[in-house]
Amino acid sequence: MNNSAIRISIWIYLAIFFAYLLGPLVIMSVTAFNSSEFPRATPWECLTFEWFSALFQDERILNGIKNSIIIGFGTIVLSVSMGLAGALMLTQIWPKLRATYYTIIIAPILIPGVVLGISTLVFWDRVNRMLGLGADSFLSSGLFLTVIGQSTFIASYCMLVLVARLQRYEIVQTEAALDLGATHAQAFRKVMLPFMRPAIASAAVLAFLASFENYNTTTFTFGEYPTLTIELAQKVRYGITPAISALAFIIVVLTVFAAVANEANIKRKELAAAARRGETTVGQVSGGGIRLPRFLAGNSAAVLLVILCIGTITVVGTATAYSPDQCVADIREQKRLEADERIQELRRKRDEENIRKFKGVFDPEDIAPEEEAAPATGGNDSGFGGVFDPNALSGQEESEAPSTEGNDSGFGGVFDPNSLSSE
Amino acid sequence: MPGFLKEFFNRNGIGMGSLMLGLVLFWTIGLIILPQLSILDFSFRPNLPPPEYGGPKDVYTLENYRYLVFGPEGGGQDYNSVDLRVFFRTLVAAVCVTLFNLILCYPIAYYLGQNKGNHMRIFALMLIIPYWINEILRAFALRIIFGESGVLNTVLMGLGVFDTPFDFIRNDIALYAGLGYAYILLMIFPIYNVIESLDRNQIEAARDMGASWPMIHKRVVIPYAKPGISSGCTMVFMLSAGALAAPQILGGPSSLWFTQLIYQQFNDNNDWPQGAAYAIVLLAVCILFVLAVMRMFKVNMGDIGK
Amino acid sequence: MSAGVGVDLENIWIRFGDFVAVRDANVNINGGDFFSFLGPSGCGKTTILRAVSGFLEPSEGNVLIGGQNMQGFGPNKRPTALIFQNLALFPLMKVWENITFSLEIKGASSAERRKRADELLDMIALPGQGDKLPSELSGGQKQRVAIARALCAEPDVLLLDEPLSALDLKLRQHMRTELREIQQRVGITFIYITHDQGEALTMSDDIAVMKAGVIDQIADGRTIYNDPSTAFCASFVGENNVFRGKVKKVSGDHAMISTNRSGDLMARISTANQGKMKEGDDAMMFIRPEALALAPEGAQGDHFVTAQVTNEEFEGNSFNIFMEGDGGKEIKVSLPNLGQSFDSHRGQPMTLEYEVDNAVVVPAGELATE
Repeated sequence: MNNSAIRISIWIYLAIFFAYLLGPLVIMSVTAFNSSEFPRATPWECLTFEWFSALFQDERILNGIKNSIIIGFGTIVLSVSMGLAGALMLTQIWPKLRATYYTIIIAPILIPGVVLGISTLVFWDRVNRMLGLGADSFLSSGLFLTVIGQSTFIASYCMLVLVARLQRYEIVQTEAALDLGATHAQAFRKVMLPFMRPAIASAAVLAFLASFENYNTTTFTFGEYPTLTIELAQKVRYGITPAISALAFIIVVLTVFAAVANEANIKRKELAAAARRGETTVGQVSGGGIRLPRFLAGNSAAVLLVILCIGTITVVGTATAYSPDQCVADIREQKRLEADERIQELRRKRDEENIRKFKGVFDPEDIAPEEEAAPATGGNDSGFGGVFDPNALSGQEESEAPSTEGNDSGFGGVFDPNSLSSE
Repeated sequence: MPGFLKEFFNRNGIGMGSLMLGLVLFWTIGLIILPQLSILDFSFRPNLPPPEYGGPKDVYTLENYRYLVFGPEGGGQDYNSVDLRVFFRTLVAAVCVTLFNLILCYPIAYYLGQNKGNHMRIFALMLIIPYWINEILRAFALRIIFGESGVLNTVLMGLGVFDTPFDFIRNDIALYAGLGYAYILLMIFPIYNVIESLDRNQIEAARDMGASWPMIHKRVVIPYAKPGISSGCTMVFMLSAGALAAPQILGGPSSLWFTQLIYQQFNDNNDWPQGAAYAIVLLAVCILFVLAVMRMFKVNMGDIGK
Repeated sequence: MSAGVGVDLENIWIRFGDFVAVRDANVNINGGDFFSFLGPSGCGKTTILRAVSGFLEPSEGNVLIGGQNMQGFGPNKRPTALIFQNLALFPLMKVWENITFSLEIKGASSAERRKRADELLDMIALPGQGDKLPSELSGGQKQRVAIARALCAEPDVLLLDEPLSALDLKLRQHMRTELREIQQRVGITFIYITHDQGEALTMSDDIAVMKAGVIDQIADGRTIYNDPSTAFCASFVGENNVFRGKVKKVSGDHAMISTNRSGDLMARISTANQGKMKEGDDAMMFIRPEALALAPEGAQGDHFVTAQVTNEEFEGNSFNIFMEGDGGKEIKVSLPNLGQSFDSHRGQPMTLEYEVDNAVVVPAGELATE
């Protein structure tokens, strides 16, 4: 009937929507396992783990991860404390000033990240000069500028998270602690902080994620300390490899892990609360037909988490044992044949044209454009430069061939002593 | 010591109060107000090498703004058509991306907001997970799909829609898809939050009185969801107009985004004041847009950012 | 009973901007007393309590505890402990941790704290409940934990801000007795804030009645009930029938009031106003419902009131008769149920009499609104 038609169209819409949302991530993850030099899911060549070992040998990526983590922690400390102070101030500021104050501390969310990056750079450069410090001072270091620039707006996010929790805090709790003899610092530490802890944890996670993936602000401030995101952007802009897909895959898996683990944890708390409310529920949970471990009982998210863990272990296990050499060799052979064929075809064409030209009127103006057009038919009109060119591709492969020989084990490559010497 | 300050310290203690006040002042003045004022100031100055700062040549000038409109002096053109075109194209495209996102996300937000159950949590997770993935990687994923030999071209050619690969990147389709993709959650979340608090009985009542679904949305749901819609639109517009990564990765080689011009002024031309002026223009337009949306939807600052 | 520590408020003014919350309050509270501030919500009684506990400094005047001026002392430096209106138990701490929070601040060991908590839990009749969270306790239990937590700090003065208002009637009445017992056992000064005159009357040694920032009267409960100094006190504390009029004649402690509707009536001038009232003054006369009695029909004089009966109700221990009163207000008469027969007079006039000393005259003033 009409109702079911609506339902079906809703489900179709949802399916399309989530395909748009998740499809790119899935395809990107898949390309991490394709041996093709260019990240693509089709045509499928060989299952390979070499991109993971390529990733773990990339100094710039590793360095970027290190910088991202340092900056992330700096940002957590600064933006959570500023966010908390800002949220506390919001609850007790003079009412006439409140709207203005709120606008100021919420504004960084709305200011484009590019502008924040620039303003941080310009302002601290000026401060640096006013203090008479050189270009290598701490105030002009990329580490400091990035933490400062990111915290400007991440603190606003933290403030929003914290203020939501703070609204449920009764200020009399602090007063009660003071009344019982606590100093202000003790009252804060022993009463308010424990209450705020879950929100502080969320704010910290949020701050780290926001810092980790920030590009717009960081791109102006990073200086000598490129973060992972900056390194990624540079790699993606100047030629892409499946090693990035490998990194993306790892991040996707970690994210799914974190999300599912979080969900399992929430569910566990809910179940515990339910069990505490009524003894009967405990009986029902533990008295079920199949004796699952308590942790898993009635908690689908936890079950999923365990399945994910097992899956990961299996994949990593396979990766260390699996060798795509034969397949890669086959594909290479096939490609060489194709390339040869194409080259021969090209030669044939050129010969034909030459013949035609010799036959035709000998006009130099006629030759020049023809010659320019010839390589273009060879497959290089894509705007990506040489990446698409099959010739360039095979050339790259040949040059990389020796290193792949000593390094066939995917993840295992990192631990392979040969890989050190071969690099 | 003024009364309110005394009361503040009474309430929070000297140590905690100073710490709190210090942090707030550092944030609001040191990180928000002064840097913005300083790029405003900077945007009115000529591009000088550092030794000449404060020297006789360091005077206020409108040159940087004039440049955006009229181009280089003696450039032979009446207007700086390149930069102006980029500027307006960015704004128009950002508005289009915002509208596209709104149309795409409203039904989802409505569906999530009005249905309860276990599968809603799975949907929520599926919504949030992509948002946790790095912005660069999301753009990268779309580049894989929209690339010349990407999945989309393979599929479309397999279906016989095209016989040669269609260049999604050069035609900016990849860019718009990427911008829309990047900010889906920011559109869904505010709308979802509002719709979730809409009493289902209101919809039932409207249906009971014979209203059609479009009517119900027009008269009941959308007016109620207005703060969420305006908040979502503001966020998506600001982020699209201010996006840098997606245009750099997904944009065609010949078409630029306004933020890319700013980036070039800073990193390639080394003309900071010029970049600052462009940044100020971007900021001003964004602020105007927010104010216009707030006026149009009759919402206030407190509703945005929820 | 130990002497305890007294609290003195000297000329306290508390202003918030232009708003005067407390106007020139002068109170001397004896050590070891149970002292109540009674008044409707918004009268400034909680503000006074916050000034005593140190959460706000009075704009003018001094708070003295045990004779020592408390100016500049924060709440954590004062020998007071406050029981908050909503109790403010720490939700994330167990009951025993809540109770011994003040010891934790002083750096006491865990074992020491547990021991003290057990003692206090015994005292408040909640033995063995120390490991629960506050959210797992009932309202009355939370109440007692809050008291134990405050007492654990060994304050000289315990301040209570309407702590019983969240409880149901039965529990409230039970806790009244219990609070009074605890106060007598520990022998420290209690300052109690309430808008419930029943609580104030049953528990207090002395009561201060407050209205809009002003203390109208400070006296023991019996005095306030029988001898109110203002119209507000008379109408706020207990039920009262008001008769408006002018002073016709003053003779010693007594005055003749020419009322608007009930003719000339004789009454006693309240102690605080003796010698201050003169002929022609606007005055109010108050007679308690239980001070009125049936009189022979048609009796006349300066202590008889005749009026139309509008309603009657039987309340178990008493018959209540409502008669057309003065200025829209009913006159309520409460006759004790002693098993006597009672004829309905609904719709008919009825005559009542009272003892002149049971009727009180005060200058006309604002009445408490129910």
